[in-house]
Amino acid sequence: MSLKENLYLNFIKDDRYMYLLSGLKNTLLITIVAVVVGILLGFLLAYIRTTHDRTGKWKIANLIAQLYITVIRGTPMVLQLLIVYFVIFASVNVPKILVAFIAFGLNSGAYVAEIIRAGIMSIDKGQFEAGFSLGFSYTQTMLYFILPQAIKNVLPALGNEMIVLLKETSVAGYIAMDDLTRGADIIRSQTYSAFMPLLMAAAIYLFFVMIFDSLVKKLERNLKSSEH
Amino acid sequence: MNTEQQKPLIEVKHLGKVFTRGKYEKEEVLSDINVNFYEGDVAFIVGPSGAGKSTFLRCLNRLERATEGEIYFEGVNILDDKVDIDKHRQKMGMVFQQFNLFPHLSVMGNLTIGPMKLQGISEEEARERAIKLLRRVKLEERADSYPNQLSGGQKQRIAIARSLCMEPDVMLFDEPTSALDPEMVGEVLEVMRELAEDKMTMIVVTHEMAFAREVANRILFMADKQILEENDPVNFFENPKNERLKAFLEKMI
Repeated sequence: MSLKENLYLNFIKDDRYMYLLSGLKNTLLITIVAVVVGILLGFLLAYIRTTHDRTGKWKIANLIAQLYITVIRGTPMVLQLLIVYFVIFASVNVPKILVAFIAFGLNSGAYVAEIIRAGIMSIDKGQFEAGFSLGFSYTQTMLYFILPQAIKNVLPALGNEMIVLLKETSVAGYIAMDDLTRGADIIRSQTYSAFMPLLMAAAIYLFFVMIFDSLVKKLERNLKSSEH
Repeated sequence: MNTEQQKPLIEVKHLGKVFTRGKYEKEEVLSDINVNFYEGDVAFIVGPSGAGKSTFLRCLNRLERATEGEIYFEGVNILDDKVDIDKHRQKMGMVFQQFNLFPHLSVMGNLTIGPMKLQGISEEEARERAIKLLRRVKLEERADSYPNQLSGGQKQRIAIARSLCMEPDVMLFDEPTSALDPEMVGEVLEVMRELAEDKMTMIVVTHEMAFAREVANRILFMADKQILEENDPVNFFENPKNERLKAFLEKMI
């Protein structure tokens, strides 16, 4: 079979490219929503953890946050996805994509929390004291002085988390979610040729990873230049 | 200046501070300190390292939590748990050894963020106030610079201006020149001298003895967790009574 025939069979015939296209749409959608959920949740968890570490308050909330982070980071993503789908939402009829949003968001939150916490802890104590001495509350000091610096410091790590998440969503097929990986696999099962669909899916992932990467780098440069 | 009838601006009563490390290790750093500061005071606190000078100063705006006693600032006991300490801190400026400017904000941003966010004044008004203060510390042309573009002396002058921008009733200085290269100490002391001449109430922890003698109206000697002696500058250096102070002054010369 020539290359041309191969391409035709795997992508053009019966509109098979649509498997990849709609799969990509789901993959990106899950990634974006999970990143947003993960960042919101991560901030909340990091805020609880650092407030406890800096002030000694919120013992119970800190314990819960710590337990959450430990469990999420200590168990496989696939299992978390299966548990959310088959255990937590077992008796309720929820769209699969919503399950994916929740599972990947909850997972990402734990990782983002640790990244942001590291960022906050890297800021000198003197910055807190400067904020306090002017009359800013703890929350205001965090908001105006600590977080802007902390986020800048951990931006590469956050970007990396986003890239990991994008690739991690490929396990969504475990709950029969039609994502990019599953789309490629469906084509494979129809055409009995693995090479083309799987490599195409890999190339698409790579392409988007590179886009994310360059966006993060650009943002980093912008933030850095705002200091001079 | 500090007549007996005048009400003190800051009244410290039986102040004590015990640091607790872990479960069992305790270290007392301040013990039964009683002292008043009045409006217009330029009070310098000197003494050997480890005497608790900085801790004492940091207790005054509750950056460090005293474990005993009372501190009345403008009549309110700020060690009371019910007190909104943030409100009172707005009235107590503090200058740190390490400057602690906000590196992500311009000089102008460093000065205006407090008044704008905490006192609710407009950006225009805040900028006006800031420019006046930048003129006062002779750094008007650096308004748009970022802290990492400034020398140590400039940073500290900006830090002083930042505190003044809140229009505080008292300024606390925690070894403001200790982290500076020798050639930059003068410019910071100059700003402080002018501040004192303008009748700003100042409490200064320092090792600059000559400067203390020149600018202070009271000098307090701290050692062994306590204020052991207090006097006007002339008598402080000419007629020290406490043995520890005598030994300290001899080492200084």
